[in-house]
Amino acid sequence: MLRSSAVGWWWRPFTEVAEAAVFLIDLAPDAAHEARALEWLSVTERARSRRFVHAGPRRRFTLCRGALRAILCHRLGCDSQRLTFGTSSHGKPFARVDDMPEPISFNVSHGRSHGLIAVAPRGRLGVDIEERRAREDLEDLADAVLGPNEKREFGLLRGDARTQFFFRMWTLKEALMKALGLGFSLDPAEFEVPIAVRRGATTGTFRFPDRPRVLWRVDDLGTEDFAAALALEPIPDRCGSSDG
Amino acid sequence: MATTAERVRQLVADNLEVDGQPVAVPADLSVSLTDVGVPSMDFVAFAKVLVREFDVPLTPDDCAGFSSLKDLAAYIDAQAA
Repeated sequence: MLRSSAVGWWWRPFTEVAEAAVFLIDLAPDAAHEARALEWLSVTERARSRRFVHAGPRRRFTLCRGALRAILCHRLGCDSQRLTFGTSSHGKPFARVDDMPEPISFNVSHGRSHGLIAVAPRGRLGVDIEERRAREDLEDLADAVLGPNEKREFGLLRGDARTQFFFRMWTLKEALMKALGLGFSLDPAEFEVPIAVRRGATTGTFRFPDRPRVLWRVDDLGTEDFAAALALEPIPDRCGSSDG
Repeated sequence: MATTAERVRQLVADNLEVDGQPVAVPADLSVSLTDVGVPSMDFVAFAKVLVREFDVPLTPDDCAGFSSLKDLAAYIDAQAA
């Protein structure tokens, strides 16, 4: 297990959604935090960290991976050395302890200043966080990722409301795509965020049009500081039934 | 006329930034967009730029899959051949 120290932690509990716990990661420059995180990383992860061309992305990777290791080790009751990661065919990582796959689900996302880590004992999940900012290419991006109804609603908005709507849709869609494990091999314009959520509800349910058996839960986790979302696969009840 | 590799390098310089700073790409294009630290939203935007520039099929996932920008340029050349 990873022990606390004078360095302190750079993550804290952010929220809980059903069985999922979501942690907020502070990605501000902090040499002590980065050095501590680096100690926990595997040889492969350190090499990955060194490959980053710029200091900012290197720091974010290191702090997020260090926090992920600490959170998973705490939950799995293991040392960081016993924890390794495998990846699915679409690159989604899963945890192994002593080379044995663990059912625990997790997902990581980061913006410039903040990261989110979502963890659940089982079931697929995806999380996304983006710090909102004006972009010159917002129209192009909206054209690439929004569905027809979403584009129409986006087109009715102006100024800051337009940016807010876009980043909200983006994080909800990316969380769903990450939960499914396909990332951007899926075309985000081919599905739409549920209408109630588009109109402001903070939670809703969703089915991918070409994969209708699974009813996903989606939650808007956005704050004044960032847009963020979580997508969760429902957990079957004791009788084994679910919408999945 | 500029080679595909030179055009890719210029497109990176014109369209991508990290933390508000220009992206540093070595002349031999030996780094990937992931190594550069390009976030997912910029992957989507940059894939559109490449499709528009070279008229080749390219998704954000494709862009993320190349182990270097040199490989990305080679893919574009192969598609155009």
